[in-house]
Amino acid sequence: MRSTRFWALLTAAVLAVSLLAAAALYLLAPAGRTARVYLDGELVRTIRLDRITGTLPFSVEGPAGVSVIQAEPGRIRVSSADCPDQVCVRQGWVSTSAAPIVCLPNRLVIELTGGDPGPDAVSG
Amino acid sequence: MKLVRILAPLLALTLLTACRSQPEAHSVQFFAMDTVMTVSAWGGGGQEAAEQARDVVDRLDALLSVTDETSELYAANHSGGRPVSLSPETAQVLEQALDLCRDSRGALDITLYPVVKAWGFTTDSCTVPDDAALIELLERVDWTRVSLEEDVLTLPAGMELDLGAVAKGFAADRAAESLRAAGVSSALLDLGGNIQAVGSRPDGSPWRVAVQDPDGGWLGVLEVADQAVVTSGGYQRYFEEDGERYWHILDPATGRPARSGLASATAVGPGGAVCDGLSTTLFVLGLEESVDLWRQRGDFEFLLLTEEGELYLSSGLADAFTPEAAWEGRVTVVEP
Repeated sequence: MRSTRFWALLTAAVLAVSLLAAAALYLLAPAGRTARVYLDGELVRTIRLDRITGTLPFSVEGPAGVSVIQAEPGRIRVSSADCPDQVCVRQGWVSTSAAPIVCLPNRLVIELTGGDPGPDAVSG
Repeated sequence: MKLVRILAPLLALTLLTACRSQPEAHSVQFFAMDTVMTVSAWGGGGQEAAEQARDVVDRLDALLSVTDETSELYAANHSGGRPVSLSPETAQVLEQALDLCRDSRGALDITLYPVVKAWGFTTDSCTVPDDAALIELLERVDWTRVSLEEDVLTLPAGMELDLGAVAKGFAADRAAESLRAAGVSSALLDLGGNIQAVGSRPDGSPWRVAVQDPDGGWLGVLEVADQAVVTSGGYQRYFEEDGERYWHILDPATGRPARSGLASATAVGPGGAVCDGLSTTLFVLGLEESVDLWRQRGDFEFLLLTEEGELYLSSGLADAFTPEAAWEGRVTVVEP
């Protein structure tokens, strides 16, 4: 009797621990490629680039005017902007987390996380 | 009790699975020195250390800004030729900046500010100054006339200092020092494209730092540890007028955008300030004289991109650099 209960308990415990571990691994698993759009340090939009299927255009407005952003599967860019220097537009499509898209005049930062990690940083 | 005895090792086992993933980075992102900066530190105490590093950068920005009317540099630039007492920190930065000018073969001059202003690079309303104006302004450019005795700076009337070419490098050095002092052995600083690595990745492998291709994408990836990687190029800030492109890196000899045949110059070495000064210096000097400087100094490595689309790599980086597919076969390794 005692032995049966012991094994039942052990099985239940192993099962419970396995389920917990599986749940933890699932929850902690790195999300697919995600773009986060910040204006003046504040998160204004999050896009799962691994889940969208077509082109997703949207715009944000900062101190220098409107920045038009295009998200596509796996990549994102600023397609046009009112800012004077156009540095953000010239940066083109970005598909890794190495360097964020930055528009200083508009205080706009678009950061990528997840997916293929690519390099750790970009010098330039 | 028995259950506990069984569960404890099982739970310990599940903890082991967590060790496979990298420890998480503690990152702070902020605007300083007219650019966006990210400091990432790994390991215990990383968040606090990253925030301290940010404070270090902010403090230097407040001391060294040319436009902030409360900065020490602004006070010096408006001293009318009278001696000014500097904080030891500013004096130290200035001393190192003058050394970089001395070693640059005339390619770097921190007194170029009157000319930089005439081009409008400080205000975003850019214009091509006429020759007469440039000649007159260049009379006020000469770093050898800057006198720094202990902490007392004397700047002749009419002259103005601008540490823009080296300030981010200084900030990276000081911030890296602060991170190491806080016990961080793995951190990466991105100060507006100036990359400074503290130690290596948390798993012990080298950092992978890509170098920007002026036409988009990357030239390749450099594997580094405890090094600064700084790139200067005409593509970073420029304007166009009558079909011609004018960029922000000026040749102190002419007061005009430096046209040496290089599209970008990357300097790699242990010091951020030195690499910052060197990347500008190499861009202004051009390929041949840059190689000559490298052979003479022997304390840095380089990656140079010519306007013809050829890459030149110093031999010390031969193993560390992997070109992107588009650049394979266009890389020449330069031997000492």
